[in-house]
Amino acid sequence: MRRPEPSHRPLLAVGALVFAGAVGGWLLLRRTAPKDEAKEVAAARALGAGAAVLAFSVATDSALEHYRGSFENRAMFIAPTVSAITLAAAALTLARPGTARGAKRLVFGAAAATGAAGVGFHFYDLSKREGEFDLLNIFYHAPLGAPAAIGLAGIFGLLSQRFARGETRVLGYDGARLIAPFTAAALIGTVAEAGIFHFRGAFQNPAMYAPVTIPPAAAAALTLSVAAPRLVPVARLLLEGTAVLGIAGPVFHAYGIHRNMGGWRNWSQMILQGPPLPAPPAFLGIAIVGLAMLPLLEADA
Amino acid sequence: MTDVHAPRAKTGRAPDVFRPGGWIEMRGYSDEEEVDFAIVGTGAGGGTLACKLAEAGFSVVAFEAGPFWRPLEDFASDEEAQGGLYWTDDRITGGADPIELGSNNSGRGVGGTTVHYTMIALRWRPEWFKSRSQLGYARDWPISFDDLAPYYEEAEDALKVAGPVRYPWSRRRRRYPYREHEVNASGLVLARGCEKLGIKWSPLPLATLSAPRGMAHPCVYRGFCAYGCSTNAKQSVLVTFIPRAIKAGAEIRDLAMVGRIEMKDGRATGLLYHREGRWRRQKARHVVVAGYAIETPRLLLNSACPYFPDGLANDEGLVGTHLMCHSGPGVWGYLDEEIRSYKAPPCMAVTEHWNYDDTGKDFHGGYAFMSQGPLAVGWAQDVAINRGLWGMALRREMTRYNHSAGLRIVGEVEPQRENRVEVAPDEKDQYGLPIPRVTFSYSENDRRLMRHSIGSMRSVLEAAGARELWNDDDTSHLMGGCRMGDNPKDSVTDADGRTWAIPNLWICDGSLFPTSGGVNPSLTIQALACRIGDRIAAMAKRGEL
Amino acid sequence: MSADEFRTPYRGYDVLAKWDTPSWNDRTREVVRRRLHEVPERRFLTEEEWRLLEAVTARLIPQPDREEPVPIVPWIDDKLFRNDGPGYRYADMPPMREAWRQGLKGIAGEARDRHGRPFEDLTSAQQDEILTDVQHGRTDGRWWGDLPPGGFFLHLLLKESVAIYYSHPAAWSEIGFGGPASPRGYVRLGFDARDPWEAEERHD
Repeated sequence: MRRPEPSHRPLLAVGALVFAGAVGGWLLLRRTAPKDEAKEVAAARALGAGAAVLAFSVATDSALEHYRGSFENRAMFIAPTVSAITLAAAALTLARPGTARGAKRLVFGAAAATGAAGVGFHFYDLSKREGEFDLLNIFYHAPLGAPAAIGLAGIFGLLSQRFARGETRVLGYDGARLIAPFTAAALIGTVAEAGIFHFRGAFQNPAMYAPVTIPPAAAAALTLSVAAPRLVPVARLLLEGTAVLGIAGPVFHAYGIHRNMGGWRNWSQMILQGPPLPAPPAFLGIAIVGLAMLPLLEADA
Repeated sequence: MTDVHAPRAKTGRAPDVFRPGGWIEMRGYSDEEEVDFAIVGTGAGGGTLACKLAEAGFSVVAFEAGPFWRPLEDFASDEEAQGGLYWTDDRITGGADPIELGSNNSGRGVGGTTVHYTMIALRWRPEWFKSRSQLGYARDWPISFDDLAPYYEEAEDALKVAGPVRYPWSRRRRRYPYREHEVNASGLVLARGCEKLGIKWSPLPLATLSAPRGMAHPCVYRGFCAYGCSTNAKQSVLVTFIPRAIKAGAEIRDLAMVGRIEMKDGRATGLLYHREGRWRRQKARHVVVAGYAIETPRLLLNSACPYFPDGLANDEGLVGTHLMCHSGPGVWGYLDEEIRSYKAPPCMAVTEHWNYDDTGKDFHGGYAFMSQGPLAVGWAQDVAINRGLWGMALRREMTRYNHSAGLRIVGEVEPQRENRVEVAPDEKDQYGLPIPRVTFSYSENDRRLMRHSIGSMRSVLEAAGARELWNDDDTSHLMGGCRMGDNPKDSVTDADGRTWAIPNLWICDGSLFPTSGGVNPSLTIQALACRIGDRIAAMAKRGEL
Repeated sequence: MSADEFRTPYRGYDVLAKWDTPSWNDRTREVVRRRLHEVPERRFLTEEEWRLLEAVTARLIPQPDREEPVPIVPWIDDKLFRNDGPGYRYADMPPMREAWRQGLKGIAGEARDRHGRPFEDLTSAQQDEILTDVQHGRTDGRWWGDLPPGGFFLHLLLKESVAIYYSHPAAWSEIGFGGPASPRGYVRLGFDARDPWEAEERHD
């Protein structure tokens, strides 16, 4: 199909940036993590990585979205601020899982609390709008699911600190067997969010179906792997696919902006009105944690 | 630019509406070649039908008096400069309630009025098609809602109408092809008022994109919709049915004014039209007139010949009669909040409560009202003329523009024989053709409806917190003039738009409407055109053409 | 505030500052550039009619706050010269050009009858009184022929003057109108929501 033709350069730039970020992150991970590391420490590192990606996604996304809302309520500064600090703590966890545990737990705890409060705030915001919980407001106003992502980063962070201490049990259960279904549920939440917004966009491009098909399959396979570890290879493949979506998403969204009136030249409107650039990496963050649980599930078997 | 003086659609190519300076291939016919269908007009009726007939395999030439624009490069963000979108040839308007013509309800250019319409894509209340037998007033149409329902759906899909997942009125329907748009503040005023009063409201289904579609961009909420969409988000006939028609082999002839329908032995043989400074003749097996409610009757009347001395298809003296508009009183007020109604499509929220609920009415018929989005010039003229304000009082009042919000109805108007289009034989236009004279007066029922609606709008605005309310007076749309019916004695065409008097002369536009309904007519015109297209193709298969 | 004072709540907002931003496209720049810099010369009205109309429009849209008022009469003259009508005329009104000539004659006649002086030489109060009477049809039939004074005042004189004034960027700025918006439109659509490229209201 023929497309409108503003410059493709910004599109290539976003693509290159995302690719460089992904490769850089992966190389960093490989350099910092010794090969013969204990499984628990490796898992802690991965939980930190997942939390970092999620925190990055929320920090940029909430900054952008709350800027769209002109920061009309001071509380709107909390989400980007807490996410930025969480990002720092999570990045430190990724590099050195075991250091400064007390401070980290404080930060991750705050992130979890912010997530819960954010969901409450957004719920309240919708309830007082004309149309209340009509799809109109779900489409165009404070999304219910978005603040949960910073809460999730906090929880992943807290878990990483347990694993870093060598404690692999959570709430009296084997950690991996609990975290795997929890991660799957988080994935489903993210799918719901992407689904609502892609539905708003009438799935006008077939690629818009990808985040509502691959991640749900990954979530199912991850959950089933708890009971049936032979499914781990399937889950790994699907989670890797989900991770790729998290990396490819911003590139697709950058293309979406380019597809809008004025393209990237009209960026001051389109970074807000076009598809959100920072949202898709949430898939990457959750997939990293899911992938980290797989060796533990295999080992349990 | 909207003042284009030389035809663009020529020599095997037509403007590509999606690319500045671009062209697409177009089939061309010579004047001598007898085409299957010559269509007069390329708006909601003619443009849609040209596409349907070409896709059905007929040879089609469609004539348009105005230019063929490329919106991306031709349209400015400016009320004044976009004046070229309207039909501004001379017309006389009279009667007790003369209708404002020109920019109010006419279009000139490929795509017709859909180039500057507000994209409201509402279906009719099903009972309106049988309003005499089911609601006890006016007239029945020769078709029912069920006859038209599949074509409403076809038209909505062709326009990728962006509407709410559940629209609270009319029958259950399939989901709109695209999702609803965010509602702007002026629409939220309507929403807030309705919710306070316990009346249903809805985001409007709009024929403007809420997501990309092919080469067309989604809406950027620039608010100049009534002055032409420069982004192609608006799914006008110009960017939907016309490119499809050309692809299917139709020829669009822009800046080609049709002056008369040529007749021989009681049948139409073609068209006399003016293009590039001279009169020419196009031969055709069938002629379709789709010039809207003034130009369609005018052309039939101006085509009078010895065989039809009173004009074509006018044996019963009905051509031009039963002209209707929609009454459109508005109520305005000021709010504490900034509304800034220049943002986003002018009408984004609606209540059809008084279209579907007949309790407590002291009149027949219905009305819907929509939120409004006037721009600087339109608003200034409204304030100045309706309130008689001028001088410093006007300039000061205008600084409150961003706090104003208003509602306006689309009000059903009764068909009356005396409301009509005639031609003024002693006044000629630039082509030497007699100009139309329009006569219109409201009925008592029309006035009762308007009074009732003003009360409803005031209570909604007050409930929304608006103060210093005032009313204005307006009309919108034109319908009727060549009504369709079951009986040759009291209608001009049959249910397929085929004139009773001349078997190869058809009508396909808003002039077919026997009644006006209480919503914007364009979607119904397009659904009718889709149906007529299918009917013609079916008749051709059966050898009934 | 005295009767002829004017203050906009949008101080500091100039719609022309967006000229080079994505809010304006080439086509719009071309149209507005012509409006600002190619004000037409007199081609239709007589010099006398022009002077009278200048005095009339100065009361309809007073601009004491501007050193260079937004031009109105040249654009009315231009429309009349091109005979560029709105696409209809009321059955009780003569064709556009005749109506304007007759209407100006009517105003001039009222002034001479009442004060023995040309309209241009009257005080603002006297001018306003005459215009108010024309608006409400309280006129002397001798000067007006078949032209309904109220119809002329509202549907030609006031409607055109207002359209021309509020087509000017200076007027857009003073009422806080967003002005041209393509390719960039607007993002924030709700109550009290303003994009950074929109006018900010100040009440100080």
